[in-house]
Amino acid sequence: MAALVMTKAMFKRYGIELRRYYVNTVSTLASVYLIFLLIFLGLRAFAGGGADFGDTTSGLVVGFMVWFLAVFAYSELSWVLMQEAQQGTLEQLSMSPLGLKRVLIGRLAASLVFDVAIMFLFLLLMMLTTGKWLSLNLASVLPLLLVTVMGVFGIGFIMGGLALVFKRIQQSFQILQFIFVALVAAPVQAFPLVKFLPLSWGTHLINRSMIGGESIAQMPLADLLLLAGNSVFYFTLGLLVFGYFEKVARDRGLLGHY
Amino acid sequence: MMNAMLSVENLRKVYRSRRRGDTVAVDDVSFSVAPNEVVGLLGPNGAGKTTTIKCLCTLLAPTSGRIVIHGVDAQADPSAALRSISAVLEGNRNVYWRLNPRENLEFFAGIQGLPMRRVRPYIDDLIELFDLGDKASTPARMLSRGMQQKLAVACALVKQTEILLLDEPTLGLDVETSHELRRILKDMARNGERTILLSSHDMNVVQSVCDRVIVVNHGRIVTDDRVENLLELFRAKAYEFSISGHLSEGQAQQLREAFDLIEIEPDTHKSSIHVELMDGQRFYDLVDILRQNGSTIESIDRQDPNLEEIFLKLVQEEG
Repeated sequence: MAALVMTKAMFKRYGIELRRYYVNTVSTLASVYLIFLLIFLGLRAFAGGGADFGDTTSGLVVGFMVWFLAVFAYSELSWVLMQEAQQGTLEQLSMSPLGLKRVLIGRLAASLVFDVAIMFLFLLLMMLTTGKWLSLNLASVLPLLLVTVMGVFGIGFIMGGLALVFKRIQQSFQILQFIFVALVAAPVQAFPLVKFLPLSWGTHLINRSMIGGESIAQMPLADLLLLAGNSVFYFTLGLLVFGYFEKVARDRGLLGHY
Repeated sequence: MMNAMLSVENLRKVYRSRRRGDTVAVDDVSFSVAPNEVVGLLGPNGAGKTTTIKCLCTLLAPTSGRIVIHGVDAQADPSAALRSISAVLEGNRNVYWRLNPRENLEFFAGIQGLPMRRVRPYIDDLIELFDLGDKASTPARMLSRGMQQKLAVACALVKQTEILLLDEPTLGLDVETSHELRRILKDMARNGERTILLSSHDMNVVQSVCDRVIVVNHGRIVTDDRVENLLELFRAKAYEFSISGHLSEGQAQQLREAFDLIEIEPDTHKSSIHVELMDGQRFYDLVDILRQNGSTIESIDRQDPNLEEIFLKLVQEEG
């Protein structure tokens, strides 16, 4: 009950801040769309000028969609922690009887709802731009996306833990964004071990659903269990690493510093 | 103390650094606070006040020692301990500047897990109590520093915990707002609504609001006593002698040699001697010296020191 009340408070605050920071929100989305447009136009020029360059376009749309969500999902937590520390409110969040981890999960839930909604709008925009209409079975795509993002949140918690102790880690965000591109585009069938990395297997299943038209019910149970296991593993690992860094921060008195 | 709301046993906090070596911020500190008691934590900069307060609200892990909050071991079960404790640590930086006062209050109640239907009437009361009604819809960043600080205290109160920790609640405030905040804290203390531990450089706040004062220096407790006891103790030690006529240089020299804590203000018509006497017998020694030299004692007054003077003396003695 208390966790629900806290999550509701997080949703409300997130909504208010989005409204009041709307210029920032809109400009972020515009810049992401611009990146997509540059990649798409560059790829089209490279492929010889045709608007449709087969499955590559579909792959680009799905890959970009998952990448977009993953980047927002993993960086959100670190930004939140850095911002709260800078504002002087991180200590107040850390004093919630629900614990800092649960408070942050509430915050991530709030931003995830917004990010997923924006992502679907973005998807429509990308499909409109490319003229490539993909199968959008929400009942299949949404659970696959959410479970995939759960693993990415684990990476976010690791980065968040680092941000708690080392503060300025923005530079590593840039590197991770490129690593995420590699993970999204990783050929899981050619290199089976890639399945065990975060994001790759989830992107593969989403591709199968959106490009191949395969519903979640048609997917082998083993494939779904692998995704769930992968995400639970990285999420748990993230929480454990974050817990360690939180302990270090409490030991060194870093929660109130920036 | 058996029924303490908050107790600290042998608290020690050492910051370890390979480059700078170890820094002992709090060294073997023990005290307890009874329910509804208002205790002031006084000390110069770097004395260990903020470190102690941050250990109490679990933001800092003690190196050793035990903290018990409302019967709960704070290190063993921080979540349970935090249900009983709220704190204002960085004054006006403890609130969300993009949210208005009402939104801030609702948010802080929410992260405490308090349902809105239960807390909404109390939020209205707090807005009224802190005189934030006119600004209830104005983003906090547009409020004055004083109002932001009041809002920060209100945000701690909205959590409805039994214990309130305030670290320098009046720091940087103008006289009027400081006075208003002091009045609110005093009312809360008088009504026995909360157990309060506050650290402050403002002795007026401590003297007017607190029942008890703990003076810390170099991470250790210098004294822990009721405010009126400290005032009485130092009042009994400090005297002002008025001497008619001139006090000769020889007399003054003799007095300075005989008494350590003495100030002499010589004057042709009426000289004053301010002295602190740790031992009652010394009072008579001083009178004897004056009598031997034929001085006429016009009056002897016991001086009323304020908490600031007491604090300075305690810290100097300890140093």
